Amino acid sequence: MTELERLAETIDEAARRARPVPQFSITRPLSVAEGYAVQTLAIGRRLGRGDRRAGLKMGFTSRAKQVQMGLRDLICGRLTDGMRIADNGTIALTDYIHPRAEPEIAYLVRERMAGHLSALEAMNAIAGVAPAIEIIDSRYADFRFDAGDVLADNTSAAGFVVGRWHAPATDVANLGLVLAINGRAREVGSTAAILGDPARALVAAARMAAELGEALLPGDIVLAGAATAAVELAAGDHVEARFETLGSVGVRVRA
Amino acid sequence: MTDGHIAAAAGRLWQAWETGVPAAPVRDLIGAGDVAAAYRVQETNTRRWEAQGRRIAGRKIGLTARAVQRQLGVDQPDYGILFADCEVPSGEEVAAGRVLQPKVEAEVAFVIAAPLTRSDLTMVELLGAIAYALPAIEVVGSRIANWDIRIADTIADNASSGLHVLGQAPRPIADFDVGLCGMVMLRNGEPISTGAGAACLGSPLNATLWLARTMAAAGRPLAAGDVVLSGALGPMVAVAPGDVVEARINRLGAVSVGFAAG
Repeated sequence: MTELERLAETIDEAARRARPVPQFSITRPLSVAEGYAVQTLAIGRRLGRGDRRAGLKMGFTSRAKQVQMGLRDLICGRLTDGMRIADNGTIALTDYIHPRAEPEIAYLVRERMAGHLSALEAMNAIAGVAPAIEIIDSRYADFRFDAGDVLADNTSAAGFVVGRWHAPATDVANLGLVLAINGRAREVGSTAAILGDPARALVAAARMAAELGEALLPGDIVLAGAATAAVELAAGDHVEARFETLGSVGVRVRA
Repeated sequence: MTDGHIAAAAGRLWQAWETGVPAAPVRDLIGAGDVAAAYRVQETNTRRWEAQGRRIAGRKIGLTARAVQRQLGVDQPDYGILFADCEVPSGEEVAAGRVLQPKVEAEVAFVIAAPLTRSDLTMVELLGAIAYALPAIEVVGSRIANWDIRIADTIADNASSGLHVLGQAPRPIADFDVGLCGMVMLRNGEPISTGAGAACLGSPLNATLWLARTMAAAGRPLAAGDVVLSGALGPMVAVAPGDVVEARINRLGAVSVGFAAG
């Protein structure tokens, strides 16, 4: 087993057992390329257990977050079907370490996309757009990490809930939204917080997939990035994201 | 609270307006948390300006975000007076120094169609009395040095009012989602503030209902043609000379303002 394979095993087991691990950066700081390499190896372990690929998720889609993490680009992680949660389905807190929810926009890929696409080409290659909630859960203690850490940890991806699909041409550039816990608004924002327009995250997803030697494939889901700060989840929470013109998407949390 | 304290606070703020030199807070004179005294100070200066011929064009609502209310230790919004000479046409430039310590906020503006004289006004009555909505940028400012404000300081200082910039395509309130409209504000093309209608007391209409009732009770009821700046839809942002700010509110429209360099 190589050094990176050992790190992949560590982070994969941390996710599988829902037990936090110390940041790799404490003992073995990872470059961006090494972070992605560990991520790919760790996802390979999941696929080896029978999980299937489901798409990509984009992170650090606000300039401020990139600067804070010392990066000049977005980051991406892999979605697998084991992370899929039915709309208004229930998750168990014990399956996670310290989960948080973020409101997002999801795209459904209709045609293969890889490399540099124009926004128009990307929009023409999708089958639909939907409101979504991403469940993120850092496998590191205290939800703290550097760029290499979070890349190795599949950018904290832990689950996703997708609401009703809408036509590809639906304007999602500046939709207001409320993330509510048990009916009370906790975060208010706009999809414009995602790079000014979530369509830019879709274009970036096609580029970054190619950089990883992959492609966005028909049926893949692309999560475009968080529209507000993440909210910590507790047992008994009902999380709902309500989007202007798109409707709502929700998930329940049990102990 | 003596009339002398009220007059002294009003005079201190007046002086800052006239000279363009920010003043010390007025809470030493009227108390940091005395809202009633603070509105008496505001009213004193409003009357003085009216006597000089300034015309009231509407009201602004401030402190409509729960987080901002918590910062200032209050559980309700506040209001200030908008004067006609504080309106800046969309796309124009604000001269350097016209607003002290300027910051910008994106808001929904409502234009009132009929006088709202009842302090028990209902939402249904309010909905029927709104002529139309416009996207707006409020340029707030503070006559108090370094924005060192408590609740009484900002209320006395006309709710930190500065200038207002309105869009020019009136929309009926039925044409957009007032409570959930998305907002993005760009500074020099870069998104710097995002939010939605719900950030303003759950809905800009909730804030406006509070204002209409409060103004009726205070004896300055909203009149036909009054503009209401209903409160920020996202975080307030500082601006510098040379900046251009644009606010976009989904399905309501866009509005922009520049700040002259030096």
